[in-house]
Amino acid sequence: MIEVVLNDRLGKKVRVKCNDDDTMGDLKKLVAAQTGTREWYPIYKDHITLKDYEIHDGMGQLYYN
Amino acid sequence: MANRTDPAAKSIRGTNPQNLVEKILRSKIYQNTYWKEQCFGLTAETLVDKAMELDHLGGTYGGNRKPTPFMCLVMKMLQIQPEKEIVIEFIKNEDYKYVRVLGAFYLRLTGTDVDVYRYLEPLYNDYRKLRRKLADGQFTLTHVDEVIDELLTKDYSCDIALPRVKRRWNLESLGSLEPRRSALEEDFEEEEEKEDNDQPADELEDRAYEKDYYRGRDRDRDRDRDRDRERDRDRYRLREEKDYGREREGRERDRRDRDRDRGRRRSRSRSRSRSKDRKDYDGGDYRKRHARSSASPRRHGDGHEDDEPKKKKEKKEKKEKKDDGTDHPDPEIAEANKLRAALGLKPLKV
Repeated sequence: MIEVVLNDRLGKKVRVKCNDDDTMGDLKKLVAAQTGTREWYPIYKDHITLKDYEIHDGMGQLYYN
Repeated sequence: MANRTDPAAKSIRGTNPQNLVEKILRSKIYQNTYWKEQCFGLTAETLVDKAMELDHLGGTYGGNRKPTPFMCLVMKMLQIQPEKEIVIEFIKNEDYKYVRVLGAFYLRLTGTDVDVYRYLEPLYNDYRKLRRKLADGQFTLTHVDEVIDELLTKDYSCDIALPRVKRRWNLESLGSLEPRRSALEEDFEEEEEKEDNDQPADELEDRAYEKDYYRGRDRDRDRDRDRDRERDRDRYRLREEKDYGREREGRERDRRDRDRDRGRRRSRSRSRSRSKDRKDYDGGDYRKRHARSSASPRRHGDGHEDDEPKKKKEKKEKKEKKDDGTDHPDPEIAEANKLRAALGLKPLKV
């Protein structure tokens, strides 16, 4: 289980717990449950897993708009 | 320069026609590539060509609210202000549905109340499909008549605030409009006549309703009966009685009860056993309830373990624990798992 941090540079920071083999689509759904759907930078493909994108626990920040 | 309204254009509703689109959206349109490249120096004729190339409608999309080409063309029309005849031609044309919708949108923004109703209502009969771009960038299916309905009844469409039009019955009472005749009205009248003439057909229908109603009532009775049974007795005895019940009652009802009770039994057993079989049944309760359960020894084995005193505890636990790995001691993780189960995702791997 990893925890991913997402930042929407307007001050909203979301920490989402997920598996590293969840796909981006799943992650987007989880984020949407917390904050609503947005557009993400960089633009991630929905069917690729977090592991493939090398998004690890607590690492850096994903930006969304 | 390219963004100034034609000086010969009239003001609409007391303001520069381009002001019908609010400031932020207007700026977004002016900065848009489609606007800059394609909409420069468009006239009414060349605008038609651009409109024929449209393949979707929509407002703004994406994180930075990018306008669709549809929006840009609406803006262009507001800028050049084509004649009413031209707009009506847009609406009347049957070949290009997006041109039609574009004309309808423009008329809704700029036309008088009477005109709006008069020219948009015939479009209710157009059932063609349209592609609409949503705010998150995805496309959805809609139809021409749905869009027209939105234009006539809502205040807001495609990220533009629609100017107020008087209610239809206002205009009817003023005499400016006739009461609306739907295209389906003739069909309704036919239906009514048929109903008056065909009495037996109605009776048949009633009888069918009654049958369903009775069956429903029996179903409820069975359910209550079964629930009582399960609460008081042992699994074994329950199974026997179910067999007995099977002989007595109709087969359909049994299958239903069986599945329902199996679902109940299954979830109960699962909530007790932390064994591997939980992993096999991911994906929410609904799947369990509908699937035919197997007479596997494992399941019956689980049944053996349960005793009466535990049954009450089980019922309580069933409420607190979910079947999808959401009974984690850590409340945060349990909550996260609950959300994941709701979304159809597997539980977190800790």
